[in-house]
Amino acid sequence: MKPEAQPASERPRVSHGSSVWTTFKKQKAFQFFVLAGMLFLLVFSYGPMVGILMAFKDYRIVDGVGGIFTSEWIGMRHFKDFVTDYNFETLVKNTLILSFLKLFFSFPVPILFAIMLNEMRSQVFKRIVQTVSYLPHFISWVVVTGILYAFFSTDVGIINDMLMQLGIIDKPLDLLTDPNYFWGLAVASSIWKEAGWWTIIFLASIAGLDPSLYEAAEIDGATRLQRIRHVTVPGIKGSIIVVLILSLGNILGGGLVGSNFEQSFLLGNPLNSDTSQIVQTYAFNVGLAQGRFAFATAIDFIQSVIALTLILSSNYIAKKVSGSSLF
Amino acid sequence: MRRKRTTEDRVLDSLNYVALALIGLCTFYPFYYILILSFNQGTDTAFGGIYLWPRAFTLDNYTYIFNDGKWSSAFVVTLARTVVGAGLTVLFTCLVAYGLSQKGLLFSRFYFIFFIVAMNFSGGLITYYVLLKGLGLLNTFGVYVIPSMLNLFFLMVAISFFREIPAEIGESARIDGAKELQIFFTIILPVSSPLIATMALFMGAGQWNSWLDSAYFVQNDDLRTMSYRMIQIINQSMIPTDNASGQYAAMRQVTGFSVQVTAMVISVAPIVCVYPFLQKYFVKGIMLGSVKG
Repeated sequence: MKPEAQPASERPRVSHGSSVWTTFKKQKAFQFFVLAGMLFLLVFSYGPMVGILMAFKDYRIVDGVGGIFTSEWIGMRHFKDFVTDYNFETLVKNTLILSFLKLFFSFPVPILFAIMLNEMRSQVFKRIVQTVSYLPHFISWVVVTGILYAFFSTDVGIINDMLMQLGIIDKPLDLLTDPNYFWGLAVASSIWKEAGWWTIIFLASIAGLDPSLYEAAEIDGATRLQRIRHVTVPGIKGSIIVVLILSLGNILGGGLVGSNFEQSFLLGNPLNSDTSQIVQTYAFNVGLAQGRFAFATAIDFIQSVIALTLILSSNYIAKKVSGSSLF
Repeated sequence: MRRKRTTEDRVLDSLNYVALALIGLCTFYPFYYILILSFNQGTDTAFGGIYLWPRAFTLDNYTYIFNDGKWSSAFVVTLARTVVGAGLTVLFTCLVAYGLSQKGLLFSRFYFIFFIVAMNFSGGLITYYVLLKGLGLLNTFGVYVIPSMLNLFFLMVAISFFREIPAEIGESARIDGAKELQIFFTIILPVSSPLIATMALFMGAGQWNSWLDSAYFVQNDDLRTMSYRMIQIINQSMIPTDNASGQYAAMRQVTGFSVQVTAMVISVAPIVCVYPFLQKYFVKGIMLGSVKG
């Protein structure tokens, strides 16, 4: 029986399988574009995920990619090795301290800065300061490290030079190589680089507030500070909470200002490694510099799992709080 | 009608002016400082005390960098990866997004899960290195531009952008018998210029500033980037040794440090130059970013 002879109502059910095929054929160009993207991810994103297998294996780089599958299973040995590594405690301690210090000190800065900019009467002045403040976001950590060197080094650093000229210190401060200064240097430089950038979000949030709220507060006799406390801050509370939760999600990467890896890597050196070495850079170094690929992968894997848990839970909470999807 | 300014207003305003001026200065001065040092003789800089303008003006630092084979090739490589890398990412990401943005696309739920998993979980740098080695990408120019061809964040942004484009725009071309790829290039991309500008800008800045790949995925000296050369020179000088600047001694008044600041200026200059004109795109970028976090 030919399909045309069937009652119209039955047609879709009968031809279901072939209708998927016809739709697919009609979409074949789009399907092809998407498949190209998936193929790409299969290689560059899912490929490394499969590579995690070697964390549980006795893998050596000379075995090549195939070696990931053929090398011998050794269970959790690399994980045990890491936990009992003589560096383990220092690494975990440094990672946590750097992360929490950054979260604690860098988080309030963009909020405060946004309020200050918002209170500025001169629009021209406000624009200039704001524009300058987020310029550092676009330069690399390599250049920032170079700038820090130009300012704080013992031989050419302008700060040491000035302090000596003024007679405040007799010999240059080892700001870049003394382990005691690393955390301060890292936190301050990350604020310098990223705070202006994150101010944009809070400024936009303030700009979205209803001007009549300020007028009402003014009529009620609220002073400037009271208006900031009772109108501006409560008005942007939503954005503050969402950004805070998301920074918590990325806390091991450095929170809002990020860049734990870059800083530890570029500002760290053999002299300050007692405080500058963190888990991320340690994994990278033992992996690529010492060739202990499987061991480093095990460390990477622990980190990925922790990071994923943090990100998913913070996204989940932020979604609950803000009531809107974050994806 | 605003009421009269109170004493509180005046005090707050003055404090605010001073504080913001200081913040602005602290951000701006480091850039200015490396700029004046790059125009000062390296040997003179070593005496210190330069704050506002070059004391012994010279172009030697720039001449040195552009005549030094290592630096000039690093500059060319950096420029090439920026242009090629940003271009490839924009094209490929938009193409995949265009496919995903189609209404009624079969299996789209599965596709989205596939992309979101990739977005949130990574195998880590070490397995990534093993993969690059396996693919034979190590030590090639491709390692700079191929693995970054698909940007998942901008993929999501592009999908929502393409969904806003009225379907009729492509429809008439389709009736005229145009192929989808042709429609993508001749119709979709041209109407998406704000999206493309934002993407190209962020990808370009990322490529220009990138350093880890040049330091670890490449050994061939001809493929090193500006960032790598800067790391090299900073590392040399960070821990003082006796002959750190020995290699420059023969060369006029140039020192390791003066070459370093000059390279920094060259690396920052393009960003500062395009920055004022493209600010609105930067700002657009972060507002997109804030949606995702």
